[in-house]
Amino acid sequence: MEKQIEQIKESALAAIHESKNLVELDSIRVKFLGKKSELASISKNMGKLSAEDRPRLGKINHDARVEIESALDKKKIELQSLELDQKLKTESIDVTLPGRRNIRGHLHPITLTLDRIKKIFLNMGYSIEEGPEIETDYFNFEALNLPKDHPARDMQDSFYITEEILMRTQTSPVQARTMQAHSNNEPIKMIAPGRVYRRDDYDASHSPMFTQVEGLVIDRGIRFSDLKGTLETFLKQTFGSKAKIRLRPSFFPFTEPSTEVDVSCVMCHGNGCSVCKGSGWLEILGAGMVHPHVLEMSGYDPKIVSGFAFGLGVERIAMLTYGIDDLRLFYDNDVRFLKQF
Amino acid sequence: MQVSLNWLRDYIDIDCSAEELAEKLTMAGIPVENLIREDAGLEKVITGRVEKMEKHPDSDHMWICQMNVGKFSENLVQIVTGAQNVHEGDIVPVAMVGADLPCGKKISKGKLRGVASNGMLCSPDELNVEGGHDGILILPRDTEIGIQAGKILGKDDVIFEFELTANRGDCFSVEGLIREIGVLTGKNPKYPDLNVVEDDSDSTQDLIKIEIADPDLCSRFSARVLKNVKLGESPEWMKRRLEGAGIRSINNVVDVTNFVMVELGQPMHAYDYDQIAGKILTARKSVKGEQLHTLDDSNRLAKGDELVIADSEKAAGLAGIMGGLETEITESTTTVVLEAANFNSTSIRRTSRSVGLHSEASGRFERGVDISKTIKSLDRAAKLLQDMNACTVTRGIVDCYPVKKSETSIDFTCDKINSRLGTQIDESKIIEILKSLDFVVENLDEDGSYRAIVPMHRINDVKVWEDLSEEIARIVGYDQIPSTLPFGDSTQGHQSEQQDFIDKIRSILTSLGMCEELSFGFTNPETLDKLQVPGDSYLRNAIPIMNPLTDEFPLVRTTLLGGILENASRNFSRKNEDVRLFEVAPVFHPKSLPITELPREIWKLAGILFGRRDRVAWNSSKDELDFFDAKGIVEELLSQLSISNYQVERGDHFALHPGRTAFFKKGREIIATVGEVHPNVLKSFGISKRAFIFEMDIEILRKYIGKNFKYESLPKFPGIVRDIAMLVDENIPALEIEQIISKNGGKFFQEVTLFDLYQGKQISEGKKSLAFTIKFQSPEKTLTDEEVDESFRNILAAVEKKFNAELRG
Repeated sequence: MEKQIEQIKESALAAIHESKNLVELDSIRVKFLGKKSELASISKNMGKLSAEDRPRLGKINHDARVEIESALDKKKIELQSLELDQKLKTESIDVTLPGRRNIRGHLHPITLTLDRIKKIFLNMGYSIEEGPEIETDYFNFEALNLPKDHPARDMQDSFYITEEILMRTQTSPVQARTMQAHSNNEPIKMIAPGRVYRRDDYDASHSPMFTQVEGLVIDRGIRFSDLKGTLETFLKQTFGSKAKIRLRPSFFPFTEPSTEVDVSCVMCHGNGCSVCKGSGWLEILGAGMVHPHVLEMSGYDPKIVSGFAFGLGVERIAMLTYGIDDLRLFYDNDVRFLKQF
Repeated sequence: MQVSLNWLRDYIDIDCSAEELAEKLTMAGIPVENLIREDAGLEKVITGRVEKMEKHPDSDHMWICQMNVGKFSENLVQIVTGAQNVHEGDIVPVAMVGADLPCGKKISKGKLRGVASNGMLCSPDELNVEGGHDGILILPRDTEIGIQAGKILGKDDVIFEFELTANRGDCFSVEGLIREIGVLTGKNPKYPDLNVVEDDSDSTQDLIKIEIADPDLCSRFSARVLKNVKLGESPEWMKRRLEGAGIRSINNVVDVTNFVMVELGQPMHAYDYDQIAGKILTARKSVKGEQLHTLDDSNRLAKGDELVIADSEKAAGLAGIMGGLETEITESTTTVVLEAANFNSTSIRRTSRSVGLHSEASGRFERGVDISKTIKSLDRAAKLLQDMNACTVTRGIVDCYPVKKSETSIDFTCDKINSRLGTQIDESKIIEILKSLDFVVENLDEDGSYRAIVPMHRINDVKVWEDLSEEIARIVGYDQIPSTLPFGDSTQGHQSEQQDFIDKIRSILTSLGMCEELSFGFTNPETLDKLQVPGDSYLRNAIPIMNPLTDEFPLVRTTLLGGILENASRNFSRKNEDVRLFEVAPVFHPKSLPITELPREIWKLAGILFGRRDRVAWNSSKDELDFFDAKGIVEELLSQLSISNYQVERGDHFALHPGRTAFFKKGREIIATVGEVHPNVLKSFGISKRAFIFEMDIEILRKYIGKNFKYESLPKFPGIVRDIAMLVDENIPALEIEQIISKNGGKFFQEVTLFDLYQGKQISEGKKSLAFTIKFQSPEKTLTDEEVDESFRNILAAVEKKFNAELRG
C-alpha cells in the first residue's frame, strides 16, 4: 500500500508537471484528490488496516495528499500567470494613436497680454480704473492740456461723433476722470486699460481700434526718476530681467518733461536686427511728468503734489511677446490663430 | 524738416560722424528719423592708379590691369576690364570686392576667360554721376589715390531727415539746429551774415505800403523792396543746399526766399512789384466768395475765414500757405517786394486743412515762428541776392508790428528742478545749460531763486518752470536720470467687481471650449440688415461717425451679434468649419439721436458655435453641434456664476430660428438668449452650416449672481431610485412633465432627470417616448420601498392624467 501511495503521488506530480492549462489542472485535481480518487478510496479503507499500520500509513497518505495539493497550487499560480500573459498579449493596442482630448477654449492674445500687464501693476499696488469709450472732447483732449486747434492733435486723428463727442483716442481721459473723482490732493496710483480709436488705415501696423494702458501716479514728491524706475520694473517683468530701458526726450502736451521709452530689442537683445531696424532698441511707450496744467484742471495743486503718467500699446507688446508681425491677425479672429494661445 | 550736413557745417564745426551727431540730437529731443548718405553705394569705390596694363591672352578686347589703390591694399589689385579708354598711369574709380554700386551691380571675386579679376573699373553711369557713358571715368592725374571716390565726386553730403515734435518750431531751421548742436558739442556756431548794404537811393516806404487789418491773425508784417532785379539761375552751391533740403530750384529770387526759410525758419514770399495794384499789401480776412487765384493755378472761392494778403484790388495769396498767380515772379519782373510776416498758427492750420494745402511755409507757421525773425530774414535775403549781383536794395524796411510781443520770464530754483527730476545736478551746471540755450538768467536773491528770460524762439514752448526742468534733463541726458521707485504709503492693487466678473466669465467660457475674439466697435446698416434687425428696433439707432474711415464702419455698434457673425463668416470662408467664438465688449445705445450727451455703454457677452462637437479624431464622434450644446454652455456658465432658479421659455428673436430660440428669465427679465441662427441670416453671412448663438447682458447677469455660497451636506442614508417611461404628445415640453413629477413627488422627492428621449420607429407618429429617473432621499433614515411606493404611484397618476401619458413598463 505504501508503494501504491508512492506511485499515485509520482504519477500525480508527473501529471501536474505536464499539465498545460487550468482546465487540465482542475481535472488532475479531481482525478487524484477528488472523492472518487485512489487516495480517497485508500483513506476510506484505512479502517481495515491494523492498528499499528493505520497511523503510519495514514500519515503517508496525508503527506502525499499535501504534497500533491501544494504542487497543484504552485502549478495553478504558474498557469494563471501564463494565461494572464497570453491574455495581455492579445489586448495589445497601437499606443501611437492619438489620445482622446477634450476641446478647450482660448483667451485672445490681447487679453492674455493685458492680464499679465494688469497683474504686474496690481502687485505694485495700482488700482485698475475704467472710463467710457465714447468720450467728450473735454476729457479726451482739453483736460489733458490739448486745447482745440493744438497742433499736437494732428498726432491723433480722431473719429468724431459731434464737435464735442468722439471715440476716445487714448485711455488718458481716464486720468482726468479719476483725478476729478478724488479731492484734497489725494494720492492716486492707477492704470486704465481699454480700447481706443484712431482714424488710421487698417494695415500690418495700424488699426482703427487698438488697446492701450494708461498709467498715472500722483503723490507728494513724485519724481521723473520714479517714472524711470517704475517703467524699468514693468519692462523687466514683461520682457525678462535682462531687458534694458532707454528714455528719449519727446513731446506730449500733457507731460513735462516728456519721454519716449525704448526697450532693448527682444529679438536680438540689442545687437540690431530687422525687427529693431538695426538700432537695437524698440519704441515701447510714451511717458512723462504730469504737466502742472493737467493737475490744475482736474483739481490738484501742482505746488503740493506731482505725478507721472505713461501710455503703452498692448498690441505692440503682444506682437513682441509672441513674434507676431501683422497687427490685423488680432482682429481677424481666425480660429487657427486664436487656438495657438 | 530735412537739411544736409554740409549746410550745418557752413556754420559750425562738426567733428563727429553723421551717425554720432544724429544720435546726440535724437537723445536731446531733436529726433533724426533718417540719414541719407549721398555716397550710398560708393563706400567701397576707391581711387586707384593703373600701374600696369597688358592684353588678355584669350581676348582681343580685354585688358588686365594692375591697380594701385593706396592704403586699401598692400599689393596691386588685378582687375580685368573691357574698356578701351584706360591707359597706364590713369587714375580711375575702382569698385572693390564687396561693393554694392548705385547702379545695382554687386562686385565679387571672379575670373574673366580664365584670368582672375578682383574688382571693377567704373563708368560714370555705374556710379550715378555726371560724365557721360563712354568708358571708364578718368579722374584728374593729381587725384589722391586710395581714398573713397565719393569724396572727390562731390558725393560726401548726408541728408538729415528730422521727425520734430510739435513744440520745437525753432528747430525747423538751420539756425535752430546749429544752436542745439553747439550746446550738445560745446562748439560755437557762427550765424548767417545779415549785413546788407542798402545801395539803392529809393526809400522802401515810398514804394510800398503795408497794413494789418486783423492783428489777431497777423501779428507782424515786414517788407523790403529790391530793384533792378536780374532773374536767373541760382549759383550751384545754393541749388545743392536746397536740393538737400528737399526743395526744387526755381529761380534766384524764389530760391533765396526758400533758402532763408530753411536757414532762419522764417517763411517768405516774393511779389512782382509791378503787379501789385495800389502798391499796398494788406493782411486781412478774405471776403466770402472772393476769388483766390493761387500759384498752383487753381481758383478757389474764399470761405471768409482765411487770412489773405491783398493789394488794393484782389487777394494776392493765401497768407503763409501759397502766393497768388498774378503777382508771381516772372521773366519780366524787375522790382520785387519781399514779405516776411508772422501769421497766427491756428488760423494757418485751419486754412491749410480746409483747402488741403500743406507747404514748407504752412508747416512752420503752424508750429510757430519767432516774431523777431522777419527783419533778420529780409536782411539775409537781400544780402544773398545782392551778393549774386541780382538786385539793388532800397533804403529801410517797412515793418508793421502793431502789438509788440512781450518777453516771458520764469522764476525757479534749482532745488525744484532737481526734486522734479530726482537728480542732484549742480546749480552752476543748471544755470550754464540755460544760458547756453540763450536764456537770460538773473539771480533774484541769496536763497537760490532765479529768473530765466525765455528767448523769443522758445516762448511758445517754455512757459513754466517745469518746462525748464525738461531743458535741463534733455541736455544732461535722460540716461543720467537715476531709477527710483515712488516712496509713499503702500497701497493695495484692486480692480472693480465688474472687471472681476468679466474675467470670471472669460475663464469659464474658455474652460467650456470657447475661443475669445476681439472685434471693432463699429458696424454698418448692411450688417444690421443681414441680422434682420427690424426697422423700428432700438438696435437701429446706431450712432453715426462724422468722419468715418470707409463705408465699412460708418456707425458705432449697438449689438455684438454683427461682429460675431462676421468673424464666424470669415472663418467659414477660410474653411475653418469648427468654430466656437465669444466676446465680452460694450455696445453703445444713444439716449437720443443726434447725441447731445455720452451714450450708454452696455457690456454684453455673445457667442457663436458651429461644426463638429468633438475634435476630428480616429475615435471621436462625427456629430455636429446642436442647439443643446449652446444651451448647455449657457446653463454651465450660469451654474458656475451661481445663478439659479431661472425659467427657460420659448423665445422670439429676429436673428434666430423661430422654433429653436430660448429665453432664460428671472421673472420678466431675460438674462440670456440662446438659439439657432435663422437660415436667412446664415445665408446672408455665407455660412452653410447650422450655427448657434447666445447673448447676455453683463449688468443684468451681475444682478443675479448667487452670494454666500454654502455647501450642502452629503446624504447619510442611501436613497431610492425609480425610473418612469412614457409616451406623450410630441409637443408637450419635457420641462412641464418634470415640474409635475417634482410637484407630486412627496416629502422624500429629491430630483428628477430626463435620461432618454426617443421619436421615430416603433413610436406612433406625433408621439415621443420619454424616460425619467427619479430619486428619493431622506436625511434621517434609510428609505424602504413601501415609503416610496405611494409617492411614485401619485407621480404616475398625475402624469397620466395631466399629459394623457401612456406609461410603459
